[in-house]
Amino acid sequence: MRPLGGRSATPRERLVVVGHGMAATRFVEQLVAGGYPGHVTVIGEEPVPAYNRILLSAVLEGTHDASAIRLRSPEWYAEHGVELRLGTRVLTVDREHGDVMLVDGTCVPFDRLVLATGAIPTLPPIRGLVRPDGSLHPRVHAFRSLADCERLLAVLPVDAARAVVIGGGLLGLQVARALSVRGVATEVVEGGDTVLSRQVTPAAGTILARSLTQLGTTVYTGARATKLIDHPEEGGPIGVQLDNGFVLDADLIVLTAGGRPSVALARGAGLQVRRGIVVDEHLASPTDPRIHAIGDCAQHAGQVTGFVPPAWEQAVVLAQRLCGADLDYRGSRNVARLRATDLEVAVLGDPVAEPGEIVEVSNPVAGKHSRLVVRDGVIVAAALVGDLSRVGLITQAYDRGTVLGVREPGDLLLPETAAPLAPLPDDAEVCACAGVTAGAVRACGSLAEAQERTRATTGCGGCTQVCSRLVGEVPVREPREPREPREVVSPVRS
Amino acid sequence: MTLANTGAGRRTLEVQPWAEFPVNQGALCRKGWTSGGLTGHRERLTTPLLRDRATGEFRSVGWDDALDVVAGTLAAIREEHGADALAVFGGGGLTNEKSYQLGKFARVALGTSQIDYNGRWCMSSAASAANRAFGVDRGLPFPLADVEQAEVVVLVGSNLAETMPPAARHLDRCRENGGEVVVIDPRRTSTADRADLVVQPVPGTDLALALGVLHLVISGGHVDESYVAERTSGWEAVRDHVAAWWPERVERVTGISVPELHALADLMTSHRRVMVLTARGAEQHAQGSDTVLAWINVCLALGLPGREHAGWGCLTGQGNGQGGREHGQKSDQLPGYRMIDDPAARQHVAGVWGVEADSLPGKGRSAYELLEALGTPEGPKALLVHGSNIVVSAPNATHVAERLEALDLLVVCDLVLSETAAMADVVLPVTQWAEETGTMTNLEGRVILRRQARRAPSGVRSDLDVIAGLAERLGSPVPFSTDPETIFAELGRASSGGKADYAGITYERIETELGVFWPCPTPEHPGTPRLFADAFATSDGRARFLDVEHRGPAEPCDGEFPVHLTTGRVLAQYQSGAQTRRIRELPDGGAFIEMHPLLAARIGVADGMRVTISTRRGELTAPARVATTIRPDTVFVPFHWLGVNRLTHDALDPASRMPEFKVCAARVEAA
Repeated sequence: MRPLGGRSATPRERLVVVGHGMAATRFVEQLVAGGYPGHVTVIGEEPVPAYNRILLSAVLEGTHDASAIRLRSPEWYAEHGVELRLGTRVLTVDREHGDVMLVDGTCVPFDRLVLATGAIPTLPPIRGLVRPDGSLHPRVHAFRSLADCERLLAVLPVDAARAVVIGGGLLGLQVARALSVRGVATEVVEGGDTVLSRQVTPAAGTILARSLTQLGTTVYTGARATKLIDHPEEGGPIGVQLDNGFVLDADLIVLTAGGRPSVALARGAGLQVRRGIVVDEHLASPTDPRIHAIGDCAQHAGQVTGFVPPAWEQAVVLAQRLCGADLDYRGSRNVARLRATDLEVAVLGDPVAEPGEIVEVSNPVAGKHSRLVVRDGVIVAAALVGDLSRVGLITQAYDRGTVLGVREPGDLLLPETAAPLAPLPDDAEVCACAGVTAGAVRACGSLAEAQERTRATTGCGGCTQVCSRLVGEVPVREPREPREPREVVSPVRS
Repeated sequence: MTLANTGAGRRTLEVQPWAEFPVNQGALCRKGWTSGGLTGHRERLTTPLLRDRATGEFRSVGWDDALDVVAGTLAAIREEHGADALAVFGGGGLTNEKSYQLGKFARVALGTSQIDYNGRWCMSSAASAANRAFGVDRGLPFPLADVEQAEVVVLVGSNLAETMPPAARHLDRCRENGGEVVVIDPRRTSTADRADLVVQPVPGTDLALALGVLHLVISGGHVDESYVAERTSGWEAVRDHVAAWWPERVERVTGISVPELHALADLMTSHRRVMVLTARGAEQHAQGSDTVLAWINVCLALGLPGREHAGWGCLTGQGNGQGGREHGQKSDQLPGYRMIDDPAARQHVAGVWGVEADSLPGKGRSAYELLEALGTPEGPKALLVHGSNIVVSAPNATHVAERLEALDLLVVCDLVLSETAAMADVVLPVTQWAEETGTMTNLEGRVILRRQARRAPSGVRSDLDVIAGLAERLGSPVPFSTDPETIFAELGRASSGGKADYAGITYERIETELGVFWPCPTPEHPGTPRLFADAFATSDGRARFLDVEHRGPAEPCDGEFPVHLTTGRVLAQYQSGAQTRRIRELPDGGAFIEMHPLLAARIGVADGMRVTISTRRGELTAPARVATTIRPDTVFVPFHWLGVNRLTHDALDPASRMPEFKVCAARVEAA
């Protein structure tokens, strides 16, 4: 592959990407694929090359090998002429001079700047969480980076028998399930009335919390942690004081209580910032069209998403624009999936707030709850809890805006019923290879005679059992029993 | 099978099973049983036909007159427009001898680079992928019967039980031996009925599915690291790339839920003897060759190719699909699977042919590009068609028919007046399989011999006679033989030293050894039933991991055309149906539109009601066949009938030039 940049007479555009997460990596890949002619510099705060952040909970759970989440190697960037600066941070953006200053004082000039700074975890207001020197309490873990994940893995499982996860959102439930699969007794504390309250309705959240409890993870909803209580003995558990008076003992605490867009750089540079860095349909700042923002830090049409699919769509649109294509970003359809063993949740769009007609099937006894929000025959949002048998189909219909029939949304939520077995009529073809009807086989005295006279069963052999029964013989081989569900070999490594 | 003379007085031949033959062990489907059905058929052509320019009607002419007209017109067009104004279109049903002779005829007698064949629309994606990954293209690198010893067989886009029914017996035996069968297909076909795991992805997403499986192979720690280190190259880029294809992303693209994906990956990673067999469902896409490469990557990561009873293979679609692509029918190839732009290959083949290497033309257009160029200012003005019914089988067929109409001369060699022959200026009646001797190379790379069983009807000649007769009239620098065995011996010399080396194979050996597997470079060489045990056919002996990305269908569904159309075969018909539709015993119900009850209810139709399906290129009305076995967002139409390929898309695979037969956007409504 050729390095980026041609031999054009005009000076090459200097493009600086601040951030090296999922959005930035996708963006640079698309620049490379599109043959972007400028010089690209990527500045990443973490010291490691790009990795798939959303698989961190799978690494924690042990279903994913940590070595399997790297997205691109430093060699890949070098091969494609992209300058990669890792383990450093941008302090300021100087729009007047057109450069960014790094923590070590060096300045990197840009003609175009892409901010992909992501989100930073919010610290819940819990007393004792942060120590006087500003560091986290040693038993408290954030869960955002590979380093966080490795630090958490390092204390498992010998040092941690009990854990409390603060936050009952998607990440919180994934982490809780992961710890539980690792053999850690885990409890979840969620301030809202139900888990996943931003994604699913209370009814679905309640069902999900019960499934979680059945899997061995207790969920405390409507409860806030207010204070950490250190154990008098060194090495003993610490207490998590809840606002309802309970104290949960724990060896470690994981914070998953959400994040907020990282906007400090943009704000410092005087760019328009609301909750995120405001961008238009070209993913450019209305303050300065040379500066773009994509991913969790960006706010488009009033929306900050916090999910990978929209971040990637933004990355693709912006990269293609910079490679010369004329296209706009018009928002994304998002599908959020919970990644945790034995916990099945898919959330399409915003099934809580999206207006439309509701088609719902709920079976709390079986731990299942499905909700489709339908407008003009189109699925505009959905939540599937505990039953993902039709998730592929429903997602396809949602993504493509397929106009469904009147009964279809309901039928999609109900299991397919198999037609009852009826005796084969004489004119039914039983052997497609030789074109033989059931009647022709019945007229024979034995399977051997049927084979001789009609050639039934002599082609692919698939009709042997049916033909045996038709002539009144016991089939040579019984149809195989449906197999036991394959026991999932737990890849957890000790 | 064999043909036995059972008639008392008259010579009547009956199809009989040949139990000793190891590939099908005597089993046949109804197409085999009835394959003698065109004998003495009233629609059989027995005289050359020449279209009267004034009336537009055919009239019978003698062979000499017909060949004189064809050769004279070809010569005049060549005189005026150059040799590349003449084009040849071959078929995967022709014998090796005919394929070889046709390629030589184009390059030597016509002097044109413009030759390709319908196999481009069949196995070309697998061929391109295998060449890039392994350095050689042989459908199966092992005998078909090896399937029986595999622990897991994954069929990607194959409906084996209907498209090659006797082969399904090997699957059954595999299961009897404790093996498990996986079928990946948007339809739950009769092949899926004998599978342990059925996976029904959205059409055009097999590539993403493979990326997802590879992701789980890596994340679960199942990579055969020592194999990857010792026998492959290119792993790192592929490994890093699939980190971006986590299961939930794959689910959204393919419609295959995460648990299903895990079930598939678990099956493949928990056994040693795993086989992945791709077929047209995976390959007939504008990203078909990359799709095959993605599955080959899975196999390489698991260390399968070269392991006994394991690895990747392609299930060939036509009788001589394999041999047809080895001997020069392809626009970029010379006999022995040599590349036409390789100076050493040109030197060798020219030497065998007795011409100067410089006189050989270079690369021509691929099949669809060739057809698209017909009758255009830069394109060919004359086309000779052997063994292909283009107007039924080409994608975007309305457009292709227009191109055929723009020709100055269309010559079609066929048994019957096929839809394409009906458009021709000259139709030449040629022999049917039982009336000629020749070799074919089956899906295993096994060269087999078919002896002439009966005399051709009077007035009918072999394609070999047509080629020789035209070559002579065109003043070919070298003569063309009409004797198959002589031609086969020459083919052996031309292929000697090439990838598909037939030099050591003779008719006699084929008969005594029940077929010989290539490469077989010398008479003493035993042939090569299994490839890759020690090395791959690349320059350094290593297989290549190639980093491929899912691009999706060329024509995604949208509000106007909301469902996927996919096409395929039914058991009782074959290809364009030119032969099978004329055999009385084979049911010919015409095209149908298969759809799920959910979709049928949406458009308000029931089983058997007439439905109109339309795409941006054309429309077709046919009865609905309502079945729960197909994805609700997909419709299936069998392609044996005229009109179906007016719907399909002509986007081409960048590497193999395979058209996107297997997916496009469509709309269905009650007719």
